Amino acid sequence: MKPHYSRERLTLVNELIYEIKVKDAMSREVIFFDEKATFREIQLKLKEKRMSGVPILDEHKNIVGIVSIDDIITAFDKNYIDDKITNYMTREVITVPQNFSVVYAIRKLEQSGVGRLPVTESANSKKVVGVITMSDILNKLLVEVQSVAEKVKEEEAKNGEISDKIIQKVTKKPLRFEVKGDDFDSAGRVASITKKYFQNLKVPTEIVRRIAIVCYEAEMNICLHSFGGYIVVEVNEHNEVVISAYDRGPGIPDLELALTPGFTTASEKIRALGFGAGMGLPNIKHCADKFEIKSSLKTGTFLKAIISLGEENETK
Amino acid sequence: MKLSEIIEKCKLQKVVYPADCEIKAGYCGDLMSDVMAHAEPESIWITIQAHKNSIAVALIKDIKAIVFTNSVPIEQEVIKKAEEENINLLHTPKNSFTICGEIYSMMEEKTDTD
Repeated sequence: MKPHYSRERLTLVNELIYEIKVKDAMSREVIFFDEKATFREIQLKLKEKRMSGVPILDEHKNIVGIVSIDDIITAFDKNYIDDKITNYMTREVITVPQNFSVVYAIRKLEQSGVGRLPVTESANSKKVVGVITMSDILNKLLVEVQSVAEKVKEEEAKNGEISDKIIQKVTKKPLRFEVKGDDFDSAGRVASITKKYFQNLKVPTEIVRRIAIVCYEAEMNICLHSFGGYIVVEVNEHNEVVISAYDRGPGIPDLELALTPGFTTASEKIRALGFGAGMGLPNIKHCADKFEIKSSLKTGTFLKAIISLGEENETK
Repeated sequence: MKLSEIIEKCKLQKVVYPADCEIKAGYCGDLMSDVMAHAEPESIWITIQAHKNSIAVALIKDIKAIVFTNSVPIEQEVIKKAEEENINLLHTPKNSFTICGEIYSMMEEKTDTD
């Protein structure tokens, strides 16, 4: 079975990086120092924790600077490794607000070339609530992709069942509706019932929508223009929905003209109710994958519209 | 946007109002086939066609609310059917052009701020 999720899969990671917020991926345990620390103290900590830098916070947890491995190497080099960091640390710090999406963090990490970014409470706050690294983001993405993949798997299994169920049920027992001529009150009934029927079978919304439009227009045609007839809805062995509409006349004298958008034979009374706009047959033709119409002035009109339920459910 | 917000700002009269809901799009039209072909799901529909078939069209197209403009009379039967099918029915003396304009600018404003 060829799943119809492939497009979603391709864009999944793309969507996720916009959906996942920094706060969902960041780690909340922040290792930090204050301005009174020395380079030596920080160097030992970085070595112990295998980190590439550490934020410097004031007593309110507001960020005032950052010290990176590079700063420490320079301190060794220039011989101030035992000095306090105050006069040397980088004060222009790149941060990300926790409510931004991770795509912003990824961009900032790439642009700045640093390994980790302090996360602030909001865009105009300096208060640090977490730290985010590329591996935090990748971890979170993997977890999300995994859970989506599991869901997709479940649905695929379900879809298999559904298609079998439709074929078993509907091929054996087509839906059949009597439609009276000139019976406006119950018009729309065929489309409503058919729509609910296919919705319950979990047929994709877009396909159900097309089935409903075809049923509605076919029903209205019988009701508005004929002496009455009936509609049959069934699923054939190719997993296609077949909607057939029959009426008992009077028949269409010029089919080509009837299929022209805007052409109508409806009375003024019918048009005032919003029907007979000359769009019925063109609407059916537009929604159907295959369309056939035959009309005779002796026996009446027969219309068949076929809508595929999707190639992925093709029966063996 | 919320239907309740549209009702309040356009001063629409509630004829049938089972529950507030989210409105994602809108369509205006008095030709059934046109609405069948073009209205989007979860939308609000502005029309002067206040008869039972409008409810059928709304149901088939997942239209959540219908606004009957120009104070067109609404028959009891239509109200009953809308109640059965949980379709919101609203009534206004304003014409379709005015109501469309009001709702359209409200929705545009909403998407701008979002």
